[in-house]
Amino acid sequence: MPASALLVGVIIIPLVGAVLTPVVGGRSGRAAGPWALAVMLVTSAIALMLIVHVANVGPFSAYLGGWEPPYGIELRFDEFSASTSVICLLGTLSILFSFKYAEKELPPERIRYYYTLLLLNLTGMIGFVVTGDIFNLFVFMEILSLSGYALVAVSGERTAEMAAFKYLIMGAVSSLMVLFAIGLLYALTGSLNMADISVRLAGAEKAPAMLAIAAFTVGFMVKAALFPLHIWLPDAHAIAPSPVSAILSGLVVKTGLLGMIRIYQIYYGAKVLDLSALNTVLVWLGAISIVMGAFFAIFQEDIKMMLAYSTISNVGYIIMGLGLASQYGVIGAAVHIFNHALIKATLFLGAGAIIYRTGYRNLTDLRGIGRSMPLTTAAISIGAISIVGMPPTAGFLCKWYIALGAVEAGQPLFAVALVFGALFIFVYYIRMVNTFYFQEPVHPEILEVEEAPLSMLFPVLILAALCLIMGILGRIPLSFVEPAVTRLLAPLGG
Amino acid sequence: MEVVDIRPLLAPVLSFACAGLVFLMGRSFFWRCFWSVGAAATKLVVVMSMLPGTLKGTVYVFKLLDFTPGIGLGFRADALGMFFAVVSSTLWLITTIYAIGYMKTEHSQVRFFGFFALCVSATVGIAFAENLLTLFLFYETLTICTYPLVIHEETPEAMKAGRKYLTYTLLGGAFVLLGSVMTYDMAGTLTLSKPGILSMSSGVTSLTWLFVALVIGFGVKAAIMPLHGWLPSAMVAPTPVSALLHAVAVVKAGAFGLLRVFYNVFGVGVLRELPVVNWLAYLAVFTILAGSFVAIFQDNFKRRLAYSTISQLSYIVLGATMLTPFGATAAIAHIANQAFAKITMFFVAGAVQRTTGKTQIHELAGIGYRMPWTMAAYTVAALSFIGLPLTAGFVSKWYLSLGALEAGKWWLALVMIASSLLNAAYWLPVVYLAYFKAAPGTRLRIQEAEPMLLWPTLICAAYVIMLGLTTQVPGLPFSLAQAAVRFVFGM
Repeated sequence: MPASALLVGVIIIPLVGAVLTPVVGGRSGRAAGPWALAVMLVTSAIALMLIVHVANVGPFSAYLGGWEPPYGIELRFDEFSASTSVICLLGTLSILFSFKYAEKELPPERIRYYYTLLLLNLTGMIGFVVTGDIFNLFVFMEILSLSGYALVAVSGERTAEMAAFKYLIMGAVSSLMVLFAIGLLYALTGSLNMADISVRLAGAEKAPAMLAIAAFTVGFMVKAALFPLHIWLPDAHAIAPSPVSAILSGLVVKTGLLGMIRIYQIYYGAKVLDLSALNTVLVWLGAISIVMGAFFAIFQEDIKMMLAYSTISNVGYIIMGLGLASQYGVIGAAVHIFNHALIKATLFLGAGAIIYRTGYRNLTDLRGIGRSMPLTTAAISIGAISIVGMPPTAGFLCKWYIALGAVEAGQPLFAVALVFGALFIFVYYIRMVNTFYFQEPVHPEILEVEEAPLSMLFPVLILAALCLIMGILGRIPLSFVEPAVTRLLAPLGG
Repeated sequence: MEVVDIRPLLAPVLSFACAGLVFLMGRSFFWRCFWSVGAAATKLVVVMSMLPGTLKGTVYVFKLLDFTPGIGLGFRADALGMFFAVVSSTLWLITTIYAIGYMKTEHSQVRFFGFFALCVSATVGIAFAENLLTLFLFYETLTICTYPLVIHEETPEAMKAGRKYLTYTLLGGAFVLLGSVMTYDMAGTLTLSKPGILSMSSGVTSLTWLFVALVIGFGVKAAIMPLHGWLPSAMVAPTPVSALLHAVAVVKAGAFGLLRVFYNVFGVGVLRELPVVNWLAYLAVFTILAGSFVAIFQDNFKRRLAYSTISQLSYIVLGATMLTPFGATAAIAHIANQAFAKITMFFVAGAVQRTTGKTQIHELAGIGYRMPWTMAAYTVAALSFIGLPLTAGFVSKWYLSLGALEAGKWWLALVMIASSLLNAAYWLPVVYLAYFKAAPGTRLRIQEAEPMLLWPTLICAAYVIMLGLTTQVPGLPFSLAQAAVRFVFGM
């Protein structure tokens, strides 16, 4: 099959799969889970083929209906689009993890819609990262956002509805900003194709171009939950069902970051503005995000709330790396977009398995759980070691490269902020590990709990293993991202 | 001459595997002891098998993998690394045997011995690290693996000490990471295989900042004042752990890290151009004197030992800052000399506590009659700290003083004398109490510690004397220290 057909398929298959889920799933919803799993497995296979292709021949495009840009719609698969693989992987594992969850927590008539929403959400993300058309970017963003709001509320509890509503309000504002910015770019350049915009923007007026990138930044940073635009995140991520939290925290916030990279691709290429002021703001906000996220996390009792705040810190790392605009910094940021997804999914799914078995979510209640669920807690511990950035885990690479990027960019103080911000993160993960292993249980029955069921344990263990493998074999994602980063930064001349 | 050999990797990996077996099979007393002693013994055998080659000048290297180009894990057994590895693996075997005797009645022994063996692994990893990143990895691993040992009692006091320990050491780890990043940016490599990878072309300001970052990073574990706060509080841990923290693994990892920074990252040539090195020397002098001074007023046996450690460790730092061959010899040799003497002291403290229940020094009156062998060992160690000839401590002091004169800083030799006096002031009163002051109202009856506690103590005391007697015998660590010095100074 030609690569362009595969590229179309990677969006169409999960989309059609999602639409068919309520039908296949039936009233009892029993078949919905396996169906969704099958759909994601096929999609993953296609994604894998696409990645092999991009590794061999470099970025490539598909034109829908054979219409070439700037008139037709372009799908473009470059190195950043390779995050499709992580989306597919996490999607597949989350769906598998959802089997038991949905059975226990959801009313049967809702199960099929739950899987529909999950698949739609994943479709939205895949579309978002492979589109070469800025309006389609917006469309896919809306697909993933809307399904995201619904997924947060899926349990139907009052707190969940409130969290989803808060998420919706913030999300709607951010979508509006992005749409506004797209409108501005269209007015300036008369084009919606990213590559084309980049060419035409070169001679454009500066003021509206500046307004556009400001609106993009704010819009995407709400999605990415950069401090101080993060207020929607903790509730939404903590209250959503754990498999959904894994997707929201691991992937959905990353669309804001990948969106930002796309905008950088347009603006750096066009050389219309000097973005160093924006970058300075982002680096500072990134640093503040790291520290504030960690600071709030320390005071959380609820294990998922803690993980949610930790996402804010990690987004801070990535934004800092992007804002530094130095080779190492951006490489670190790009790699961490992938790696953090794996790590955070390990943690959320692990926490989900514990909550599923015990019914408790406060750290105090969970004391001693390490003795009854050794495998799950071991996986979470690996995730924790990874997220605090210990070598040789996946989290270390990001810390190393972003810190190196800061020194390289002549701003070693940000390296200091990063390294010591990470210490705060250490504090609450140590608290978590203490709870698991070194404290006497408050509830004696916690020692009687069984290990998580296989369909939950398997995804958690796979992800934990990946946290290690992606660190030890870090050169693979790194060599993959490097040419893309070099191309991105080439116009900056240096 | 460099030879590719798997043994530098094998040494940490074997103990790591044994630790895993302790966790898996440790519920049975026999298997727990078997694998614990096994971890220590195999490591010792592997390390010792490299000794003849190292003494001939062979360097064993093993490159494991690169995470990403330029940074990765590599192992390398050079003279300095071998010195630390020989000292720590010898002491480890002895401590493990002691720990089995000491911990017999304790809870959570699987966890204790499992993490104990992991610490073995990490320490040898530090000794054989080929680059700063590998060093950092094992340095942090050591921090994390000692934490469960510090909080072993799980009392609120222990948990608090554990928190303090982690706060200090993790902060130190962050500085090491920061320093590594800066080093990589300046030198483009992290290797520890050369006598210095930095050059003055990086500018004095950057080099000074880098030096400060790395010294703080390793200085926390080496307990240079004012970074020493964690050490006295960590005394709540069981005695074998205190011995481990204060004589072998943790504090020496810090001191060893500092030596690596001095001799393999900066290099003597660059350091001579940096004024900041002098400030570190002043800090070391202050720590030597202040640590001893505080120790005089400690009544708790283990706390006195802790402050003495703080003081003694700065001998190493001071020796390094002299940047002369004799100073370097003293710094390296003192790693062994202090380790054997201090571990003897801790074994004595533990044996006394287990046998008589006494933990305060004023309670020790007449103890020399009850536990003659134990207190004889104590006396040997005390004399070594004072620096009497025929003991290990004398060697360190002699070379330190020589180094001071070589560097043209005669006043440092005076500091050595002052420190000897202070050491006498807090070690000898215990000897006096033990032998010359019978406890009122008790019948003097010999009640020695049990063999599992006594023999390791005596062996360590014997080492203290041996190290003082036989510096020139090849195969004992001192010749390794000299080989390391020759490499560092290009002699």
